[in-house]
Amino acid sequence: MNFAIEAKNLVKRFADIAAVNDISFIVKHGETFAILGENGAGKSTTMRMIACRSPLTTGELSVEGLNVKNADRRIRSLIGVVPQENNLDPDLNVRENLLVYSRYFRIHKEIAQTRCDELLEFIRLKEKANAKVEQLSGGMKRRLIIARALLHRPKILLLDEPTTGLDPNVRQEIWEKLEELRRTENLTIVLSTHYMDEAEKLAQRLIVMAHGRIVVEGVPHEIIKDKVKKFALEIREADSFNLRQTDKILSQKRGSTHLYFAKLPKI
Amino acid sequence: MSLAISKIDLTDSCAVWRRNSRVYLRLWKTELVAPIIEPIFTFFAFGFGVGALVTSDVEGLSYLSFVGAGVLAFTVLMRTIFEMTYGAYFRMVYQSTYDAILATPVNAESLAFGEIIWAVTKGVVDCLFILPLVVIFGSATSLFTPLSILPLIFGCIYLGGLGLAITAHVYEIDYFNIFFALFFSTLFLCGAWFPIEMLPGWLQIVAFIIPTTSVIDLCRACLTGNFAVKHIYESIYLLIISVLLLEWALRSIRKRMVA
Ligand SMILES: Nc1ncnc2c1ncn2[C@@H]1O[C@H](COP(=O)(O)OP(=O)(O)OP(=O)(O)O)[C@@H](O)[C@H]1O
Ligand SMILES: [Mg+2]
Repeated sequence: MNFAIEAKNLVKRFADIAAVNDISFIVKHGETFAILGENGAGKSTTMRMIACRSPLTTGELSVEGLNVKNADRRIRSLIGVVPQENNLDPDLNVRENLLVYSRYFRIHKEIAQTRCDELLEFIRLKEKANAKVEQLSGGMKRRLIIARALLHRPKILLLDEPTTGLDPNVRQEIWEKLEELRRTENLTIVLSTHYMDEAEKLAQRLIVMAHGRIVVEGVPHEIIKDKVKKFALEIREADSFNLRQTDKILSQKRGSTHLYFAKLPKI
Repeated sequence: MSLAISKIDLTDSCAVWRRNSRVYLRLWKTELVAPIIEPIFTFFAFGFGVGALVTSDVEGLSYLSFVGAGVLAFTVLMRTIFEMTYGAYFRMVYQSTYDAILATPVNAESLAFGEIIWAVTKGVVDCLFILPLVVIFGSATSLFTPLSILPLIFGCIYLGGLGLAITAHVYEIDYFNIFFALFFSTLFLCGAWFPIEMLPGWLQIVAFIIPTTSVIDLCRACLTGNFAVKHIYESIYLLIISVLLLEWALRSIRKRMVA
């Protein structure tokens, strides 16, 4: 087996739309691979197909050399999934969330206990072990979900927008943990994100998706160098101004902030 | 085309079952209030209230003996149906518990089966609390009384399967109202509170088609020791319906969750 993930002409069609429309890519062992794209680009759908949660309409997809069409149980024991929406169990406390989850992987009870302590240590939630899930902050929840996805020592970690909605410090912290995992455990990481900075920080290679297709692929800093001019202007609390729009600059409004980029990225 | 039931992995289902039992044990005090309070008041209402009006024997039994099976089955089956509709819907939609589980090697069929055997377990636990009440109120006169748990188990499988299948098709929680309206209407036909022989002929046929009728009839046979040949047919019918609805539930959950 040569690649961690190999996708050929992947298509996923829902009733009237092609959520993923003929994409091919590979993910190498031990690398961090990012899928970048805006809302509705098809990132989650792609990840759900890799996680065997969504049957392919057409195409070929193999994970660790196993075909998703007939080896889904085996594949799901090799991957750890961090979904876009938090789905921790609110009926259980922090520690129980891990222990109960470990049963689905048939991890022996004693090993699970040790692994659980180890992971709570790793994500620095040891003092919160007996806390209820709703008492955790957004960042803590995210870290706990990442820990949960690591219980069974997966070969591949799938993260669907791991840091969306978190503050810069927490994002930084999660990035460091992910980078540490990749280096020390030789984990293959596939993550989806809206943010170029996240992709640039973590990924060795990336694809950019739009409307179910791959529009750009390559190495993050080269893509940025090629496609995006370094100059950007950010004007905060600009409610009283109109957003300037010309051909030469890309302008965008986010809440009350206006963003101006020197050149349209060609994506 | 293979049967969904054949894809069940019992170890995986058991892991799902244990998740639910863990939550239940944490909340056991609140969970046990209903199965004790409800039947007591049902006994008061039907046994003493309605029973006082019924002076003649019903199927050769006093009304209190007759109605015991109804109270027992009603409480136990209600528990299962609520667990597999609102309970399952909460876990599936609001808490995304199913999503989390399906990210592990556990497949949709084992998940659904784990949920159903959990609902059955809850019914059985309730049954253990209600049976003594049934004895105290004088509705159980036979040594076969403990056997009444068997038809109840199958009743729970059939209604749990039905409930979970419906849940898998519900995208808006208010749709349960339609299901419950139908379900409650049938409950009054199934021979819990009066013998179905009192109904006009065509309604009797309807009543016999509703599997709950068989559950209650078999329960009554166990509580009173009056067995008859029809109970064999009823058992077979209940068994077949249980398997069919179980299969439907597993398929529906896969269709909903793996898309
Ligand atoms: N189960 C579904 N049924 C119908 N359409 C779907 C389903 N899941 C996704 N889609 C559609 O497929 C497209 C891609 O969705 P997807 O969730 O993969 O996007 P995404 O890149 O993850 O977006 P976001 O950044 O908002 O999470 C969207 O148009 C979405 O509406
Ligand atoms: Mg998404």
